[in-house]
Amino acid sequence: MRHKVQAVVIGMVLLVSTASATLGLALLAAGNAPFQHAFAAQDGADLKVIVNPARASSAQLAATRGLHGVTAAAGPFAEATVQTQFQGQPFGEFTLAGRPAPGGPVDNLVLIAGHWPTGPDQVVLNGPAGGGGPVVGNTLTVTGLPHPVTLTVVGFANSITNSADGWVAPSEITALRAPGTGPSAELLYRFTSAATDAQVRADLAEVTGALPPGTVMQYDSWLAVASQNTSNGAIMEPFVIAFALIGLAMAVLIVANVVSGAVAAGYYRIGVLKSIGLTPAQVVVAYLSRVGWPALAGCVLGVVAGNVLAIPVLHQSAGAYGVGSQSVPWWASVIAPAGMLALTVLAAFGPALRAGRLSATQAIAAGRAPNAGRGYAVHRLAARLRLPRPVGLGLAAPFARPARTLVTLAAIAFGATAVIFAFGLRASLDRAAASQSLSATVPVQIQQDGPGGGPNQVPTAEQDAAVTAALNNYPATAHQTTVYENRVKVPGVPGNANAWAFGGDSSWLGYGIIAGRWYDAPGQVDVNTAFLNDSGLAVGDTATIDTGTARVTVHIVGEVFHPSSDPTVYGSTQTLPGLGTTANMLQWDVGLQPGTSTAGYVRAVNSALGGNSPWAATTQKDGGKFYSIAIGLIGLLSLMVAVAAGLGVLNTVLMTTRDRVHDLGVFKALGMRPGQLLTMVVCWIVVPAVVAGAIAAPAAMVLNTATVNAMAGTAHTGVPAFFTQVFPPSRLALLSLAALVLAVAGALAPASWAARARPAAALRTE
Amino acid sequence: MIDPSAPGDVIRLDGVTKTYQADGAPALADVSMGVAAGEVVAVMGPSGSGKSTLLNLIAGLDRPSAGTVTVTGRRIDTLGESALARFRARHIGIIFQFFNLLDDLTVEDNVLLPAQLAGASRRQARARADELLARMGIEEYRNSYPARMSGGQRQRVAIARALVNNPAVLLADEPTGALDTATGQEIGRLLRQLNEGGQTLVLVTHDPELAERYAARIVRIVDGRLASTPAGVYR
Repeated sequence: MRHKVQAVVIGMVLLVSTASATLGLALLAAGNAPFQHAFAAQDGADLKVIVNPARASSAQLAATRGLHGVTAAAGPFAEATVQTQFQGQPFGEFTLAGRPAPGGPVDNLVLIAGHWPTGPDQVVLNGPAGGGGPVVGNTLTVTGLPHPVTLTVVGFANSITNSADGWVAPSEITALRAPGTGPSAELLYRFTSAATDAQVRADLAEVTGALPPGTVMQYDSWLAVASQNTSNGAIMEPFVIAFALIGLAMAVLIVANVVSGAVAAGYYRIGVLKSIGLTPAQVVVAYLSRVGWPALAGCVLGVVAGNVLAIPVLHQSAGAYGVGSQSVPWWASVIAPAGMLALTVLAAFGPALRAGRLSATQAIAAGRAPNAGRGYAVHRLAARLRLPRPVGLGLAAPFARPARTLVTLAAIAFGATAVIFAFGLRASLDRAAASQSLSATVPVQIQQDGPGGGPNQVPTAEQDAAVTAALNNYPATAHQTTVYENRVKVPGVPGNANAWAFGGDSSWLGYGIIAGRWYDAPGQVDVNTAFLNDSGLAVGDTATIDTGTARVTVHIVGEVFHPSSDPTVYGSTQTLPGLGTTANMLQWDVGLQPGTSTAGYVRAVNSALGGNSPWAATTQKDGGKFYSIAIGLIGLLSLMVAVAAGLGVLNTVLMTTRDRVHDLGVFKALGMRPGQLLTMVVCWIVVPAVVAGAIAAPAAMVLNTATVNAMAGTAHTGVPAFFTQVFPPSRLALLSLAALVLAVAGALAPASWAARARPAAALRTE
Repeated sequence: MIDPSAPGDVIRLDGVTKTYQADGAPALADVSMGVAAGEVVAVMGPSGSGKSTLLNLIAGLDRPSAGTVTVTGRRIDTLGESALARFRARHIGIIFQFFNLLDDLTVEDNVLLPAQLAGASRRQARARADELLARMGIEEYRNSYPARMSGGQRQRVAIARALVNNPAVLLADEPTGALDTATGQEIGRLLRQLNEGGQTLVLVTHDPELAERYAARIVRIVDGRLASTPAGVYR
């Protein structure tokens, strides 16, 4: 029975460890150049060319497939740009392409969910589902058409180069084109040479030259998409890698602890075997095989479990990286079990070799009890403390096995670090999400998503005035600020910089300040990190900005959180002359009086604006898909690490109860009640857990700060200090209890088994 | 069959059977017996006859497969584990052949342990331990660890530990089995002194001399069944 339990524990620990290792390796692989791998797997388009099919015949378009350097081509796929509403709210502009199937020689789409359109009024959207947006079965309303069309979302797919925002049946496109809109279609190409901008431009020239003048209207290079996607995906890497490494390290620790403990626990039996004539070599082989079989079974089951667990995790990871799908690489399914098995054999080899060298009597003696003398002083001290006796006995017990206690402490510390880190990172990302979208201070924005809008249509001054009037009309409007955007030139900044000009008071907007402060006077501006990096300037410096209508010298008073590689400057319309025009109008940022229903306010404003306004009020949501996916992934990873840590504790307590089974019988014979025994056994793990918590709390803080800074670095931004100040002392103290919770959860089962054991049976056990 | 137990017995077993394996022979079969208050009963029999099983059932360390076990007027075979542990702590002291002292506790802490588990006050427990250590002649070893003591000294510690809660019944399983002859006789004398003070004692032993010298009555068990019970002799 004891050997069965031991085999089951070894198998279970190897199962969880191998599963964690498989998942960890899969995540490391997933984070390694995900865009490049997905681009190759999907036969991504090097070049997307938007053509006017009225200017060229089908034969001319088809002939471009045979051009020099073209290795594959797809299309033309007719397309239409539409304005949409979701659940009665404006949902933005979508470019929909008519494609008969997701596959093909170029842009081989990955269908993530649902199915491909099989009839009219069905759409497959590009990207992962959820994140507050539609899911399969929801409907989108296309506005701006003579007769509104309702499209049912039947699936989600991923185009690695975002060749379209969604796909419908080819026959649907004509009905989706707004009146007065000309036809357009997309052609997708792969070339022999498209690794640089120059090569892509040469490829484009080849295609353009083969078609009648005016046919090519627009193009997208894969390099631009790669740059953007790599940047987005890279944000995920620091925390994914942090979790993967924690999981791997803990798996190694736990396996070493379990296996060496299992062999050491078998010393008594080894002694008996030697006394009946087994040679040292036979003992080593016997014990390696004794540990090896359950370990092998655990590894095989673990790699299966790891692959199964990886499905949802990699699904989220793929969503975050924007690459459609990811899978466990074959080598992870080989290395993880092989590595764990090798580790098991290595961990078993040392104690087995030692057992082989011991004489029979030494082995029997070593197998009966821990080394005499260890922990005695602590027991003496505990007996003097005014604690319930079972508590004192339990607290002192770990000192009898210091090596085992240290390994267990390390496993708990890893698990607790992962849990505290997960809480911290979640809080940091929440703050980043709120700060990026300003959702806490700007719950409502008025943007050009209204039913009266259309592609390339500029709202009139009257339509803008109607918005201001509507906002002024509602007493629930606490603040409103017009936001204008245009490109400006800044000496020292390559290309153009982005400029946001605010009409009126903007101090309430609540941008996250990394350094300095928000501007409060004409002539002052704030900038993002990319601006400072590109210009080489610092907060406190002056810069010259050419807005197109004026050249002004401004004083940089602050660095704001705006994760983008695009250098951006923020100032008032007075500071940035020429930006505050109708043509540059981007949006209104609206703050509400406390207690106002945001949804009700949005409905009321949209109702007041009517059905012909290009403007519509929208509710601000935190962060978007990246943050929701990242937070989901953090939860899953920390749960896995915590489970592995709990299992490590379970193993330690189980081994200790086996070591001390006779003593437990004595305790019971002396009148220790099951509840007292349960308390004592749980207390065995309390001291290591408290120490582990004390180590884990600062470790998680450091890890969180480093990870957030690394993530910010890949997103081309600094971070405000408050993003990482998510551990006030009270919260940290509470979170460090995670170590205790993990330890107690892991100890409860073996403690209960020990408490339920019959004293006579325990006393009979050697 | 005549029921040898009587209404005033401090220990009563009625039709007790203990089977460890469903299809195996019983370790004890239909045993009925009683032990009067203040009596010393020696249980004898060959190895594997069921002596230790009998002791375990009286101590509440195990449960009978059939029959009832009553100690100090209370049926203990129906008690739950917690109640049984509490009962054991208050009413039963056990002395083991191999002492079963806890090596990582000092002599004093070993003796104090049952009192502390039973919830005795610190002062009372310490006073009682002091008294017992003195009575057993091992006062000077109170801060020593059992592993550094002789077998006889260790058994004295075990006896002190068994007595710390003033149990109604003292159970001794081969108390001299791990000791040399002279030390065994010392322990035997100590047990007799305890009995002279009114302590009820059940003694499991292989040693006929120990049984005949110290027990008022000898119960013989063979293959799990009670054999003849000759009249005991006080020595």
